[in-house]
Amino acid sequence: MRKRTREVFNILMLAVGAVFMIPLVIMFLTTFKMEREILDPSAVVPRTWSFSNYEQVLNSTVEAPIQLWTLNSFFVSCGTTLFVVILSAMVAFAITRIQIPGGRVLMNVVVATMMMPAQLFLIPLYMILGRMHMLDTPYALIFPATANGFGIFMVSQFMQGIPPSVEEAALIDGCSFLGVFWKIAIPLCGPALATLAVFTFIGSWNDYITPLVFTESVSNYTLPVGIALFQSSYSTQYGLTLATSLLSAVPLLIAFAVFQKQIIEASSASGLKD
Amino acid sequence: MTFRQQRNLTGYLLVAPYLVSFVIFLALPVVVALVLAFVQLDLANKSHSKFVGLSNFTDAFGDEAFRNAMLATGRYCILMVPSVLLIATGLGFGLYAMSRGREVVRGLIYIPAMLNVAATGILWQWFFNTEFGLFNFTAKRMHLPPVPWLSDQAYAMPAVVIMSIWWTVGGTAVIVLAGLQQIPRPFFEAAMLDGATGWNVLTKISLPLLKPVLLFVFVTTTISSFQMFGQAAVLSGDGPNYSTRGVVQYIFFIAFDGYRFGYGAAISWLLFLVIAVFSLAQSRLFRTKHA
Repeated sequence: MRKRTREVFNILMLAVGAVFMIPLVIMFLTTFKMEREILDPSAVVPRTWSFSNYEQVLNSTVEAPIQLWTLNSFFVSCGTTLFVVILSAMVAFAITRIQIPGGRVLMNVVVATMMMPAQLFLIPLYMILGRMHMLDTPYALIFPATANGFGIFMVSQFMQGIPPSVEEAALIDGCSFLGVFWKIAIPLCGPALATLAVFTFIGSWNDYITPLVFTESVSNYTLPVGIALFQSSYSTQYGLTLATSLLSAVPLLIAFAVFQKQIIEASSASGLKD
Repeated sequence: MTFRQQRNLTGYLLVAPYLVSFVIFLALPVVVALVLAFVQLDLANKSHSKFVGLSNFTDAFGDEAFRNAMLATGRYCILMVPSVLLIATGLGFGLYAMSRGREVVRGLIYIPAMLNVAATGILWQWFFNTEFGLFNFTAKRMHLPPVPWLSDQAYAMPAVVIMSIWWTVGGTAVIVLAGLQQIPRPFFEAAMLDGATGWNVLTKISLPLLKPVLLFVFVTTTISSFQMFGQAAVLSGDGPNYSTRGVVQYIFFIAFDGYRFGYGAAISWLLFLVIAVFSLAQSRLFRTKHA
């Protein structure tokens, strides 16, 4: 392709990228507007910058305890991520490195269950969690998520690539299998585990239907469910609802700024041969 | 204990915690869902629950609200899948053609996917507002009549789709880009040397070689479209005349508003069957890719 054509694409695509950002930029600017200025959107940039929306959101503790929802979201997302990463690494190691009898069958079952839509499990899980007295607790959002096989599948793909000589050397030196797992497999799988952690965290943070079904008390909501409730009771106060929405996305926007390369590369590789 | 036994014991210990989780939160729910589908559950008095055979399923076929939900999900799929495929392919090619700044633009179009569905829905509900929403404000400026986006049956589902495209298409575009980057450069260079036009390169080389990736995108977008829930639930609710209440929203309504778990489970299985067809297609694609 000629240089000039490429330059045209450079400019065109930069414009497209900007178009994708417009909604977020408008959202950001609008949260600093007073309510009456929002109703007349003739100027995108606020005439007078006001922090009253954020003040009101962060101070309204009774109907919209956004601090509590944030804490819940962090607790659930961190808990889920921790369990998923550790369990996935353990199972992947047992299947690919120790090659336990029945490991292949387990792997096939795990891959097969990945194809079952989450909606199928909502009703039975609701009943099971009810029996376990876990409904309306953060654990109802953490533990069922650990059964998902995606992490096992992903880490297995990566662990298969470790040359057997590495662990054989460690075994000959008197290292136990658990030692090989902790001291060799885990560090060597660092990049895969980090990617899995980031994706699990994002998925858990943004999950909407699970907390909607499994939590009941406003104080146990996570951010997405909380802000949706907040929106339904303050639907005409756009400054307020947009400010809560933006706040709910801040942790992931920061995570994206830091892990952008890993996030995009891992998700773009999903359509390719291993 | 032999070496082999010790080795396997360690393996089983490592698998054990996951197996507990698997049995309780995956295997058991499948069994419960299966039983529920053939039962009419009375939550107030469990002993009144009874086996009803296939009637939950036959009920579904006579249920107009369920048919309406299937139609809504179908409408969403028909609007969403081709749009995403087309726009993502366009964006993928656009990104591929860039000589500078590709990573920046790739990041910009991906960012919306970082938003949770509630925040996305709240933002776009404001954009689509008939009186002071941004779209109608712009329309008024251009002396166009306002569009009742979320209150008119004809526009509510397109509004959900427009929002969903913005939300997800960047994530799809980077998959297409990665597919293009996998095509060996000499393919293009050789074609150019032979005097092929840009159009010829596109239709004879790029698109055919991209076919597996495009098929993958098609299948995964279709599967996720069938599972549409939060987008409509937050943006338009059920929509005017239930026009945006999809199957998953209907399952939610039946199970957690009406507490009809048996019927809800039966509908979930019907949705699962539709998705399974596409999932099987996907695993086929996946396998041939490895061959």
